[in-house]
Amino acid sequence: MIKYILAVLFFAALVLIYIGLYLMNKKTPLPEGCENLKADCEGCHDYACLHNPAHKEKEGN
Amino acid sequence: MNRIQNFKNGLIKDNPVFSLFLGICSTLAITTSINNAIGMGVSVIIVLTMSNVIISMIRKITPDEIRIPVYIVIIATLVTIIQMLIQAFAPALNESLGVFIPLIVVNCIILGRAESFASKNGVFDSALDGIGMGCGYTLAVLAMSVIREVLSTGGILITNPFNTAQVILDLTLFPEDFTISLFGSPVGAFITFACLAAAVGAYKTHLDSKEKAKEK
Amino acid sequence: MGELITLLVTCVLINNVILNQFLGMCPFMGVSKKQSSALGMGVAVVFVIVVAALVTYGLYYLVLVPLGLEFMELITFILVIASLVQLTEMFIKKYSPSLYKSLGVYLPLITTNCVVLNVCLINITNAYDFSHMLVYSVGTPLGFALVLYIFSTIRERLDLSSVPKAFQGNGIALICAAIMSMAFSGLAGIV
Repeated sequence: MIKYILAVLFFAALVLIYIGLYLMNKKTPLPEGCENLKADCEGCHDYACLHNPAHKEKEGN
Repeated sequence: MNRIQNFKNGLIKDNPVFSLFLGICSTLAITTSINNAIGMGVSVIIVLTMSNVIISMIRKITPDEIRIPVYIVIIATLVTIIQMLIQAFAPALNESLGVFIPLIVVNCIILGRAESFASKNGVFDSALDGIGMGCGYTLAVLAMSVIREVLSTGGILITNPFNTAQVILDLTLFPEDFTISLFGSPVGAFITFACLAAAVGAYKTHLDSKEKAKEK
Repeated sequence: MGELITLLVTCVLINNVILNQFLGMCPFMGVSKKQSSALGMGVAVVFVIVVAALVTYGLYYLVLVPLGLEFMELITFILVIASLVQLTEMFIKKYSPSLYKSLGVYLPLITTNCVVLNVCLINITNAYDFSHMLVYSVGTPLGFALVLYIFSTIRERLDLSSVPKAFQGNGIALICAAIMSMAFSGLAGIV
């Protein structure tokens, strides 16, 4: 029984760490001169990637 | 009507694999046999439909800032469940698909549909979209695996995934002397995929030109 | 020692992660249009995979196994990888703007890169000891970077050639990948 409680706690801890880091990373400002960096890619439709055009559309609206 | 049209588009015109180039990794790797293709296709349909439904249900309470991490957590949990079910009930399938079952987590189709469809549409539409896109993926892996299996082994062999001793279909189309073993290897996967993708692309341009002619 | 060298050659050249295992196809098709971006992506992948493999390996044997939570392997690994990518990006942003300039754009691409998750999972499934794990985790992304770079040079030339209409774009790229895969399969005799 303790094992499953541990599993849930461990899972919750991981999720919290991830979301925390994600937010912290988003808030960290870009270094100077890097505001307009662009990857030369349009071949994949990976939506987890922040360069995916879908993200910019949403933020622009 | 519109819904049926959406569903149909997912199968061929907007096929996730050949037209949108999503989830290519697993498509190339597991299409050596039809058995694998069916197993993978069904797993993807289940994960995709469930993730679409769950994400659509929570779309209003998910903070926009952290939606990507939330989606990844949901998908990873679903895939863990599916992996455990396959390990328990179809160990042979687990053996032959290997690392590609856990890799469904990073399959671009699932996150792609979550972000571009399920996060904006209702539960029913999202479920339908999941099934449609999942079927499109299954159709693609099936087409690839039929071509590769027939050319590399000269026949078709389908077994029951829950009991490998039970053969459902065993068909020999031409003798072994005439098989092309190249199609069982990675090279064959790339060539088959390129040709099928080109065929779908050509069909798409054909449809577009037809539409334009109609408008005129 | 000889065994480790064999493993290194195997995962860089013979059992190449792109051409033989078809992993990381998304960045392979997406970031191979220019030599410079292929190089940046390659370096970023090597870095992230080595760090991710070390962390997940440690976490598995020091935390999951003692607690009897091996069944949480997959979900732990994906979350750890995703967190690591965020952490790395944040760290580089803060402390090394010049590094961010050259690698920054490729880091977000890596979160859902199947190569990373694959290396972490294989290290556990094949029960590698520490030295084998290290060699495998360095060799696999090196193979990835090598093929990505070679492929980008091919693609730069493809732009100048005339290709049948239906094959334009990804179609012809895949045919090239097939020919490269054929060439690499000739290396199988080395080991």
